[in-house]
Amino acid sequence: MARVITITSGKGGVGKTTTTANLGTALAMRGSRVAVVDADIGLRNLDVVMGLENRIVYDLVDVVEGRARLRQALIKDKRLPELCLLPAAQTRDKDAVSPEQMVELLDQLRNDFDFILIDSPAGIEGGFRNAIAGADEVIIVTTPEVSAVRDADRIVGLVEAAEKGTPRLVVNRIKPRLVSRGDMLSVDDVLELLAIELIGVVPDDENIITSTNRGEAVVYDQGSIAGKSFLHIAQRLNGEEVPFIILSDQPGMFERLFSMFGRRRS
Amino acid sequence: MGFFRELLGGHRDRGSSQVAKQRLMMVLVGDRYRLTPDQVDQMKHEMAELLSRYLPNINADQIEVSLLRDDENERLHAQIPLRRSQQGER
Repeated sequence: MARVITITSGKGGVGKTTTTANLGTALAMRGSRVAVVDADIGLRNLDVVMGLENRIVYDLVDVVEGRARLRQALIKDKRLPELCLLPAAQTRDKDAVSPEQMVELLDQLRNDFDFILIDSPAGIEGGFRNAIAGADEVIIVTTPEVSAVRDADRIVGLVEAAEKGTPRLVVNRIKPRLVSRGDMLSVDDVLELLAIELIGVVPDDENIITSTNRGEAVVYDQGSIAGKSFLHIAQRLNGEEVPFIILSDQPGMFERLFSMFGRRRS
Repeated sequence: MGFFRELLGGHRDRGSSQVAKQRLMMVLVGDRYRLTPDQVDQMKHEMAELLSRYLPNINADQIEVSLLRDDENERLHAQIPLRRSQQGER
């Protein structure tokens, strides 16, 4: 039976889709059967981020409305046979699916996978409600900025009100140099404000841009700090204890600490 | 944490991240409990009014209200200075 994990944020543009794609890829690389579901109906993006945009025939709404069977709509990843994408519809809006239909859809998927990751749309309305309806766990992605943290706090309240337990937090795009200069909220600051459990810290990394340009997950790039950070989150999801990388603003320190922790895996 | 108090102190010399943190603390109290700074002030005055019925020399301006947090819960913490009536005014 799969664990259904919804990745959400409140604010848009903080890295939900990138996080979903990379965690899905990392979990599949480590041998789990993974389905990633794009719940952002009308604004689908998980397919392009994963480089699967040319393979879409049917989408989530087609399945819900009975035009296609689930098996037909699931797209296999280019490299990992155990990784599948269920794309969102691009031509419909968020009201095309109800929370009940999402739960039903996930129940159909559960038996065939170990993990189902749902990429939530931004906002706190219908699309978000659909995305968390069937979730067993919730991960909130934020960046160290006032607007993103404020929205994350709202989401924490809504997730708890929906009785999905306390969500766990990914702090994305942290810039160690700005933090040490005192000009960016630190991970500790964000944790103190939101008071939820941390599951990952992802430093700002240009490799995200280049890998997304190519439609590849950054976790394939073992040398990138973002790739390594996403891999660590996947390991933590699997119950492994992985120390958090200590971020340093000194050039070179990154890589050193990084390879130190990296060795543990293989 | 005492952020109501911290808010009164200047934060010009600190990095912008601490300004962000303090602003967020206030904003989140507002979001979570629907409480504005004006309402906090009013709350202090009403607390002083109530307590004055039982205790001498309660001054609303000296009450400090802050939000404390442990693993599970948030608590409203009020510090209310007391002065014995015999001692009179400072």
